[in-house]
Amino acid sequence: MAVTDPGRDDARLATAPAADPIVIPDASRDETLLAPFRMEEHPQGGFHGLLEVIPTKADYVLDLIRANSLWPLLSGLSCCAIEMMSTATSKNDIDRFGMFPFRASPRQADVLIVAGTLTTKMAGPLVRLWEQMPEPKWCVAMGTCTTSGGRFKRSYSVVQGVDRVMPVDVYVPGCPPRPEGLIYGMMKLQELVKQRRGHWRTYVDRGPQRVNWEGDVR
Amino acid sequence: MRLIGERFPDVVSSLWTDEDTVEITIPGARNLEVLRTLRDDPELAFWMLADEAGVDYGPGVRFEVVYHLYSDLHPAWLRVRATVDRDDPSIPSITGLWEGAMFHEREMYDMLGIIFEGNRDLRRLYMSPDYKSFPQRRDFLLPDDAADSPAAGVNPLERPETWDLVRFANLGPLNPLADAGALPDASAVVADPAGDQPEGSPVEAGETDADASRPR
Amino acid sequence: MTATEPRETRIPDPIDLDAAEEARLRAAAGIAPAPIAHPGAEYAGFEMVGIPDRPPQTDRERELYTLEEGEMLVNMGPQHPSTHGVMRLVLKVRSEVVTDLDVVLGYLHRGIEKLCENATYTTVLTYVDPMDYMSGMHNEHAPALAFEKLYGIEAPPRAQYIRALVVELNRVFSHGLMMGFLALDMGGLTPILYSFINRDEIVDMLSAISGQRMLFNFFRVGGVNFDTNDEFLSRLGTWHSKQLKNLKDNELLITDNEIFKARTKKMGIISREDAISLGVTGPNLRASGVPFDVRKAHPYPPYRDLEFDVITQANGDVYDRYIQRIAEIKQSMSLIEQIMDKMPHGPVQAQVPGIIRPRPGRAYAAIESPRGLYSVYAISDGGPNPYRFRMRDPSLITLQVMPKLMPGHLIADTMAVMASLDPIMGGVDK
Repeated sequence: MAVTDPGRDDARLATAPAADPIVIPDASRDETLLAPFRMEEHPQGGFHGLLEVIPTKADYVLDLIRANSLWPLLSGLSCCAIEMMSTATSKNDIDRFGMFPFRASPRQADVLIVAGTLTTKMAGPLVRLWEQMPEPKWCVAMGTCTTSGGRFKRSYSVVQGVDRVMPVDVYVPGCPPRPEGLIYGMMKLQELVKQRRGHWRTYVDRGPQRVNWEGDVR
Repeated sequence: MRLIGERFPDVVSSLWTDEDTVEITIPGARNLEVLRTLRDDPELAFWMLADEAGVDYGPGVRFEVVYHLYSDLHPAWLRVRATVDRDDPSIPSITGLWEGAMFHEREMYDMLGIIFEGNRDLRRLYMSPDYKSFPQRRDFLLPDDAADSPAAGVNPLERPETWDLVRFANLGPLNPLADAGALPDASAVVADPAGDQPEGSPVEAGETDADASRPR
Repeated sequence: MTATEPRETRIPDPIDLDAAEEARLRAAAGIAPAPIAHPGAEYAGFEMVGIPDRPPQTDRERELYTLEEGEMLVNMGPQHPSTHGVMRLVLKVRSEVVTDLDVVLGYLHRGIEKLCENATYTTVLTYVDPMDYMSGMHNEHAPALAFEKLYGIEAPPRAQYIRALVVELNRVFSHGLMMGFLALDMGGLTPILYSFINRDEIVDMLSAISGQRMLFNFFRVGGVNFDTNDEFLSRLGTWHSKQLKNLKDNELLITDNEIFKARTKKMGIISREDAISLGVTGPNLRASGVPFDVRKAHPYPPYRDLEFDVITQANGDVYDRYIQRIAEIKQSMSLIEQIMDKMPHGPVQAQVPGIIRPRPGRAYAAIESPRGLYSVYAISDGGPNPYRFRMRDPSLITLQVMPKLMPGHLIADTMAVMASLDPIMGGVDK
C-alpha cells in the first residue's frame, strides 16, 4: 500500500464522480522518478542545474578507470592485515583487480582498507591518514572489529566501529574475513564506484559520534 | 623448597609447593635483596625472570607483584609473591637486576598504578599519557558492569519501573491507522506504567531479565 | 541538529584555557602536561603535534629528547610499510646514524586481560586468539594448560599429540612468514609471496581441522575441539611431501644472497648477557648462544616423549636469527613426523562440564611460541570466571632490546633488526 499524503488523497476522492470506476493516479510515482534529481536539497552533495544531472560518457569512463585501479593504503592494524596480505599474494590475487600496489603514503592511495582493531590511541593517527588522502577516496571496513567493535565490544580502549570516526563505504564482516570475502567486498566497492554511490559523491559527515580519548568508563 | 626456607627465614611468610611450582610470599619492600640472592647464589641460580605480573585483590585489600623465576638446577618454577599496600602502592624496582623488567613494570604502572621506585622510565605503556585511571583495578568497571557500580540506578533507563510504555507505544500523530481507530488513544489506556508485569510483583531496580542471562 | 553546516571530522577542540591555567589543572589532576603546540600546526588542517609531544616526564625521556649538536628526532609512526603492526619508533639520529631509540606502544591495546576477567574459562580461550595472531594455536595452548592445572585434569594423550601437531604446524608457517617479512622489510618483494603460498597451504590444512583460517578456536580445557579428519590428513600428506623442496626454494632466494648477507651479518648483535638480562627468549635467545627451550626446560606432556635437540647459533646477529628460524622449521618438520608416528588412538577431549569452576588457586603455564616464552598466570576464585588472567607475551619483552641494539646503525637497518626480532603487535599490546 503506497503511503501518500493524506491531504492530496482527500482532494481527489472528493472530486471524482462516484459512478465511474475510481482511478486514483499515484502521485508517488512522480516522487520516485524525480528523487535522484532533487540533489540540490542535499547539503553536501550537489547537482545543480539540469546539465549536471545526466552523467556524461566521460564521467562514466572516468569512473570505470577509477574502479579498476583502486590503490589501497597499507593500513593493516591487526589480524585482518594478515588476511589482507594473503589476499594480495599469489593464491588469492588481488592484482587481477588492479589493487596490488599497496601504497605506503596516504597521498597516493585511493582506498583505505581499515583492517584490524581500531583503538582509541590509534584513532587519531588513522583519522589523520584519512584526511590526508586526496579525493576521490573510499573506505572499506574489514572485519568485525572495524564494523562494530567486534569481539571487543565491552573494551575500554576499542573504538566500537570505525564508522564512528570516518565514513565507510563497504563493510566486510568476518573475524577475519576470508580472502574471498575481502575480494567480494572490493568487487562491491568497484560497483559502488562505477555507479557513483560511494561516499565520495554523497559525503555526509556526521562527525565523530562518541570517541572517548581519555575518559573513564565509569 | 628447603634451600629457600633456610636462606630467608625472616622474610618469607609462606611457602607452598605444587608439582611444578614453588611459591613464596614476601613483603614488597624486601624484594630486591631476595631476588638478588635468588639470582646470584650458586646453589639457587635463578637466572631467568620469566614473568612479572601484578594482581589487584580489591579495594582495601592489597596489590601483589608476582615474579616467576627459572633455574636450570631446579625442576620447578619459583613464584615470588610480593605484597604491596593498596593505598600507597610502591615497591622497589628490579630493573637493576634484570633490565627486561622495565616494560613489565611500566605495564603494571599503567594498568594498576603501582609505583616502582628506581625505575628510570615509569610512564604509561599502553594507554595514552593523558589517561587518568588504571584500567585493571578491580574498581574500574567495563560498560557492561554498570549494574555493579555504585551508580547503578541513577539513570532512569536502568530502572524499569520508570519506563513509560504508554508514551513509547504510541506510533505517532500521522499514522494512517490512528484515524480509523485501530490504535488506542493515550487517554484510553489505564495508567499502569509497567504494564507487562503481573500485579503484585513490582520490578526492583537492578533485577531484570538481563540479570539472569548476564554472564556472572 | 541540522545537517546544513559542514561538520568537521576531527576531534572537537579542548576548551581554550590559558597555558598556565591548563598546566595547573593538569598537575592537580595528576595527568601528563599538555602537548607542545607545533609551530606550523595551523596550516596542516589537522591536529598536528611535534616530537616530543609533551614535556619529558621521566629520566629516560629527558635523556632521549635532549638533542645535542647535529641530532634530530625522526618519527617512524604507527602507520609505516613495515608489516609488524602499529608501533611507533622515535629515533634520535645524527645524519642517518641512529643514536637512540624509543618505542611507543599501545596503538593496539584492546584490554584483553580485563575482558577475560568477565568471561568463562572456555570463552577466555577465544579472547586470547588475536593476541599473537600469527601463532593462534600457541596463544590458546598456554591458557588451556593453565586452566587444566587449576582444574586438576590432564588432556587425553591423543589430544596432547594433536595439540603438538597443530602447534608445530603453526610454528612452521610463522617462521616462514618471518623469512618473508625480513626480506620484505629490506625491499625484496618476492620471498613474501613464497611465504604466503606456504602459509596458505598450512592454513587451509588447519582450517580443515579447526574450521577457521587464522583465529582458530581449537583448544578446549581438557583437550581439543575436533579430531583429525580425512581432508586434514590428505592435505598434511601433500604438504609434507613438498615441504622440503619448498623450503629449499625459499631459502635459495635469500640465504646465499650477497645483498642479504651484507645487510644482515654483524648487524644487531645481542650478546649473551644482554639477552638474559633483557628477558629475550625463543629463537632470538638461542641465536645468541643460550640453549634455553621451554619444551626442554619444562616439558609439557607430548614433548616428553619426542626427541629433538636445542639448536643454537654462535653470534647474535640478524643473519643468525634468520638461520636459527630456518633450522627450527626443519626441526619442527622432524617433530611432525615423530608425532604422526606416535599418535595414539583415543578421545580428544576430557569430560569437563560446560562451565568450569575450578577450586581456588593459582597456576602458571609456559610454552614455547615462535617468538619466545609465552606464559599464562591464572588465579581462580572458585567461580566461573578467572579472577586474574595474565599473559606474558614474548614480543613485548623482546622489544626492549631495540634501544640497546640500534645505536650505531643506520636508519635503514632499523627495519632489518626489527624484522629479525619478529614482534607481533597484537601480542605486544595485548
